[in-house]
Amino acid sequence: MKVLAAGVVPLLLVLHWKPGAGSPLPINPVNATCNTHHPCPSNLMSQIRSQLAQLNGTANALFILYYTAQGEPFPNNLDKLCGPNVTDFPPFQPNGTEKVRLVELYRIVAYLGTALGNITRDQKTLNPTAHSLHSKLNATADTLRGLLSNVLCRLCSKYHVAHVDVAYGPDTSGKDVFQKKKLGCQLLGKYKQVMAVLAQAF
Amino acid sequence: MFTLQTWIVQALFIFLTTESIGELIVPCAHIHPESSVVQLGSNFTAVCVLKEKCMNDYHVTANEIFWKTGRVTVPYEQYAVINRTASSVTFPNITLINALLTCNIRMFGQINRSVYGIRIISGLPPEKPKNLSCIVNEGKKMMCQWDPGRETHLETNYTLKSEWATEKFDDCKAKRDTPTSCTVDYPPVYFVNIEVWVEAENALGKVASDHINFDPIDKVKLNPPHILSVNSSKELSSILKLTWTDSRFKSFITLKYDIQYRTKDASTWNQVPPEDTSSTRSSFTVQDLKPFTEYVFRIRCMKEDGKGYWSDWSEEASGITYEDRPSKAPSFWYKIEPSHAHGTRSVQLKWKTLPPFEANGKILDYEVTLTKWKSHSQNYTVKDTKLTVNLTNDRYVATLTARNLVGKSDASVLTIPAWDFQATHPVTSLKAFPKDNVLWVEWTAPDESVNRYILEWCVLSDKSPCIPEWQQEDGTVHRTYLRAPSKGPTVRTKKVGKNEAVLEWDHLPIDAQNGFIRNYTIFYRTVIGNEIAVNVDSSHTEYTLSSLTSDTLYMVRMAAYTDEGGKDGPEFTFTTPKFAQGEIEAIVVPVCLAFLLTTLLGVLFCFNKRDLIKKHIWPNVPDPSKSHIAQWSPHTPPRHFNSKDQMYPDGNFTDVSVVEIEANDKKPFPDDLKSLDLFKKEKVNTEGHSSGIGGSSCMSSSRPSISSSDENESAQNTSSTVQYSTVVHSGYRHQVPSVQVFSRSESTQPLLDSEERPEDLQLVDNVDGSDGILPRQRYFKQNCSQHETSPDISHFERSQQVSSVNEEDFVRLKQQQISDHISQPYGSGKMKMFQEVPAVDAFGPGIEGQVERFETVGMEAAVDEGMPKSYLPQTVRRGGYMPQ
Repeated sequence: MKVLAAGVVPLLLVLHWKPGAGSPLPINPVNATCNTHHPCPSNLMSQIRSQLAQLNGTANALFILYYTAQGEPFPNNLDKLCGPNVTDFPPFQPNGTEKVRLVELYRIVAYLGTALGNITRDQKTLNPTAHSLHSKLNATADTLRGLLSNVLCRLCSKYHVAHVDVAYGPDTSGKDVFQKKKLGCQLLGKYKQVMAVLAQAF
Repeated sequence: MFTLQTWIVQALFIFLTTESIGELIVPCAHIHPESSVVQLGSNFTAVCVLKEKCMNDYHVTANEIFWKTGRVTVPYEQYAVINRTASSVTFPNITLINALLTCNIRMFGQINRSVYGIRIISGLPPEKPKNLSCIVNEGKKMMCQWDPGRETHLETNYTLKSEWATEKFDDCKAKRDTPTSCTVDYPPVYFVNIEVWVEAENALGKVASDHINFDPIDKVKLNPPHILSVNSSKELSSILKLTWTDSRFKSFITLKYDIQYRTKDASTWNQVPPEDTSSTRSSFTVQDLKPFTEYVFRIRCMKEDGKGYWSDWSEEASGITYEDRPSKAPSFWYKIEPSHAHGTRSVQLKWKTLPPFEANGKILDYEVTLTKWKSHSQNYTVKDTKLTVNLTNDRYVATLTARNLVGKSDASVLTIPAWDFQATHPVTSLKAFPKDNVLWVEWTAPDESVNRYILEWCVLSDKSPCIPEWQQEDGTVHRTYLRAPSKGPTVRTKKVGKNEAVLEWDHLPIDAQNGFIRNYTIFYRTVIGNEIAVNVDSSHTEYTLSSLTSDTLYMVRMAAYTDEGGKDGPEFTFTTPKFAQGEIEAIVVPVCLAFLLTTLLGVLFCFNKRDLIKKHIWPNVPDPSKSHIAQWSPHTPPRHFNSKDQMYPDGNFTDVSVVEIEANDKKPFPDDLKSLDLFKKEKVNTEGHSSGIGGSSCMSSSRPSISSSDENESAQNTSSTVQYSTVVHSGYRHQVPSVQVFSRSESTQPLLDSEERPEDLQLVDNVDGSDGILPRQRYFKQNCSQHETSPDISHFERSQQVSSVNEEDFVRLKQQQISDHISQPYGSGKMKMFQEVPAVDAFGPGIEGQVERFETVGMEAAVDEGMPKSYLPQTVRRGGYMPQ
């Protein structure tokens, strides 16, 4: 599995991820400063917690919807095919400081956002009639996008974090159908797992 | 749009005012400014500058310029001549305008001409939009609306702009027909603050509203909850438990609820205290309800902190509280009826049903206990509201309890005095008077304490006997009103049929019932008939009147009865229809079908018996003019007609001869006749296969095939028909022949032609022989010669030769062979062709079996196969045959 470790690229943010991990990312200068269009709200952490709760509350349903839509053998082989065995997934330490947790959260959300974009793209091809799944994937991606914006706002406004190295998930564009489905299922299994942790950590 | 108008105007003037003799089109003048959107109330000045060339050509200067708005000349006071070429016009404090401003010149002192024009439009710059607010309906995209302010009179665009702290969204442009709102394209993302504002822009300016910054979750309007159930509790008859499902948002935001309820018949809602429903939940138990009462509930929800909007109300759901024991003892009274037996008396105990709010359930039965003074008691269980017992003349004590599913009511106790008991303190000063549409009864209470009063009354009417009614009052009152319904139900028709009508009505409102409705009575009558009464149970709201007379006006009214009496409702009239629904169709359709069937049968009969019918009403009268010389026997001396006049010099026909030719029934059918059948079949099979198998092949194409068939047939016809007959001028069976008693034959047969126009004979022969006929002659001859010269040719091969003949040809041939008694020979060429066809021999002998048929159905076909060379008619039938 080829992973684009984007750590070599100093990035401030990836707000507009597109399907396809191989696409070049905007590169911000190292000395980039935090510029936001308007001030961050005072209840930003509360919003982040709500977003995490929202994502955590829908993660299992999304996971079930996904492997159900893939058909056999996925529903009956969840352990083998959909185990949360995602390598290079950004780590998270629940006991870290808020700043560290936010940075790690940022990496995770950026990773998940890209991976979810790939899954959405693949599913539109592999299961074009699974409209409910597409809708849920899109809604989840939108929420992740909002979470990323909030985390950015918080990092900028409170911790003046200028950039965060982010890593992307595997590029599935060259994989076969089964591998695409399997990688998607593993990713969503991981997503469900990590969201439960994140929702508790903030 | 405005710019377009301006350009159109300018272009128009350019074309009107320029000279284009081999040069570029150049306007004669220009107006400055070109832009002509003017703010209301401002001053506007326009300058018209003439071109030198125009000035020279038309000998004008700026002094000759005058201005017009539309067709109205602007007063000269507003002009100012700037120099020799320029003149200006000023409009102070411009008002609402949308007009054409033209610069005009007066040429040669008298000819006015427009040289340039602009459209000026006045309006206002947009005001700053106010009251910007947004709403996010659950499951939909965010919609924002605003107050655009004053009317600008100009095309003004409103753009809703939105952004996160880190990201901008696409603009949302308000539609022209809804300039005060816009729904964004992107789905709402909750828990991220978004900043929104509106920009208004027109030709006179651009302005933005105040920015609002909010979390979309605080602007959400959730979908209403869906009430799943309303359940009662057996343990508590005063509660109902409401359960519902609500928005998916409850998984990540706290909701609060608003629950309202009312009894089914009430119009006002009761409110569950908001503090009891201020957190997310999916059920609630409403308390302090009346037993065995139907309640209606509705619920809505919103975000717990009050930010956002209440959802719409849910659909209403109802439930009935569980039963409780009757809360009150029934009213209880008795009536002693005279008895013939000595020492006993018949006593009718009667009581009233409890109203629903006291019955607290469905009353199953009543328990009556009769206790004789110092004796054993006797129990009765009664479902009715009366009980008649024979009692001795002793004093009795009766008790009554009503029982429902849960329990018994308190007991009503009634003393039935001994027969010789005399009341010592009667009620005095009893009087009754109407007031407020009810009949009040008032009395003076005795000095002693009274347990209760019983009022008895009846309606005095000539129509009905005095049926005593009664009601019970507490011992503390001394005035009451007789409780009968204050109004009757309003009946109406739900459906009216020919012999029945479905009536329906609404239950009386509680306030109008004045008691417990026992039953309804429906009265209905015709204008002249007697009134008929029908009793209907009080639980019904619909009844079907049957055995009505059709097309009759009926008058119907209803009365509602309580134990205290009844009240009529308004009268309603309806008319039964003359025919039931579908009755007309049921009559008309079978009649039409029968007629159609009869017609079809008639047609079929006529078709089958057409020969017979034709024989009687339209016998076969050969048309001499269609005769063919080819059919004439060469052994028969030709009859020479010099002219028709010669033939019938007096113009009258003296006789009619119908000539039929009997086929030679002695001759057997040739084998090739079978192949004729096959030939016909193959014609059928080859329908649609036009032209084809070589131009020289017999019947090789569809069109020629038709000709061939027809020719063949005509030849056959004529070969078996006497071509001329004597025609009676007076007609056959009173049929009047045409004035032209002897029409010219269409045939170009040599004989007739030579007789009629001998000079044309050669020409016709030549023409026919050279063009259309000869090839067909060759073709037919070829075909037939094959039969002659190659008798061994296989059946299949012959079939192939005719395979291209289409079915139409064959059908036509067949029809004519079979049914056409009056042969209509075709063109002479065809005849001629047939003359040259010796191949009919191939069909010659052996027509047994078919001969008879041919005889009956027509002579032509018989001759076709039966008499190939001999043109002498063999049989004379029907009428005198004139040997020729």
